[in-house]
Amino acid sequence: MSTEHRESVPVLIFPRQTLVSLLVFALAWEVLSHLAPALGIPPFAIPSLLRIAKAITTITPLDIAVTLARVIAALIVSFVVGIMLAMAMYRSDTLDKYLHPMIRILMAVPVVSWILFAVLWFPGVEFRIGFVLVVVCGPVFLVDTLDAMRSVPRELRQMMRSFRPTTLQFFVKLMLPAIVPTIFTSWKVNISLAIRVVTIAELVGAVTGIGHQLSVAQELFSVADVFAWTVVLVALLFLLEAIVARIETRLLRWRA
Amino acid sequence: MVAIERLDLTIAPREVVAIVGQTGCGKSTFFDLMIGLEAPTEGTIHIGGKSPHTDFDSFRGRIATVFQQDRLLPWRSALDNARLPLELIGVAEAEQRQRSLAWLNRLGLGHFTNAYPHELSGGMRQRVAIARAFSVQPEILLADEAFGHLDEVTAAELRETFLNLARECGSTAILITHQLEEAISVGDRIVVFGKSAKLLADIHVKQWPKTKHALLREAIQVTLQSNAPDARLALS
Repeated sequence: MSTEHRESVPVLIFPRQTLVSLLVFALAWEVLSHLAPALGIPPFAIPSLLRIAKAITTITPLDIAVTLARVIAALIVSFVVGIMLAMAMYRSDTLDKYLHPMIRILMAVPVVSWILFAVLWFPGVEFRIGFVLVVVCGPVFLVDTLDAMRSVPRELRQMMRSFRPTTLQFFVKLMLPAIVPTIFTSWKVNISLAIRVVTIAELVGAVTGIGHQLSVAQELFSVADVFAWTVVLVALLFLLEAIVARIETRLLRWRA
Repeated sequence: MVAIERLDLTIAPREVVAIVGQTGCGKSTFFDLMIGLEAPTEGTIHIGGKSPHTDFDSFRGRIATVFQQDRLLPWRSALDNARLPLELIGVAEAEQRQRSLAWLNRLGLGHFTNAYPHELSGGMRQRVAIARAFSVQPEILLADEAFGHLDEVTAAELRETFLNLARECGSTAILITHQLEEAISVGDRIVVFGKSAKLLADIHVKQWPKTKHALLREAIQVTLQSNAPDARLALS
């Protein structure tokens, strides 16, 4: 019996259709950039691709590293807190009933409100940003994990229980592996959310990071720099998602 | 709704008992009670003087189950599924692998140990489930319609293998089935459940020579249809 060999997934995939779409957009932008003065649009509003490319070359790697570190650290903390609370709520109906309404309220609060709370409550910039990221991303991990645990097929839970596992064994050998696909989906959602949230948080209250650089670009009316940093943000998002997808493919190779 | 009403049943060690009854007669509830996942609302269930529900953990490694669907963990290979009960009772990993591999080989799956469940046929997956059950050499084996979803040839083959292994291990085996042929071919005793698990007949198969099996089948059918014991199967 031979096991199928799965083809390795490239980290970044650019199908032909994607490249054509990007090319068409770039051409349209360049044409608009040249026509802007004739159309009464200020030149700085639609910079040429060359100007944007120059702006990209001035990107400071340190700000990228700082933003990335904030995102990754906060996602890890959010994940750990989310999954532990989910396990506790799965085991205790009472805890679930008390915490569930609070989780819903937390998720309903706009990100901007959390940022303002953080600025008003906490003195440290890093703690503020971390707080906002965790309070936004944590509940997503929690809800997704809890739903996934409850969706583990009853037949598998019954089979497992018939062999009399300890509580820890039940979670480690059944529940955690069973919810891995959902965890990966949750990570992909939260990466996208975290990138957006950290950008806003840095925009408002930081002196480092991509969000801060966007704020500086806005104050200088430099659309080229805004464009450049936005390209970096999007590339960062795609890269992180691709890494998660790669790990997912490896860990879920048991799937048909 | 009462699933089981006034059931009084004793099974001796090493007996192989088939429980047969129509849908909704309480077989599955009986099965859950025997595993210990449910507690009876009245009465007691004892295995060797202990309750499978209240003394739940004391039966770790002593009870094993085979369900209608294989219920293999999809993220584990055949070998890793087979050794699951051994992991739970804390057997050393090398010994887990050795024992599980031995059972898989006996069940004809020696070349498929690294295959995942989705790569195996239904019959092969059920063999892995049987290997999983036997890996701990359980005192009590419970099978709930374990061969019901397989084609007749595969089912017959697996059934015979299962019974041979059960006798070899000295296990007390209880097989729940709705198929009369399976119940008759299984072994020592056939217990016929009516509605609410009412005990309609308790048949020692050896008292029925093979030439009379057609008569036995007919008598059980009449019993099930009428929900009353056929005179030919009078309870002793």
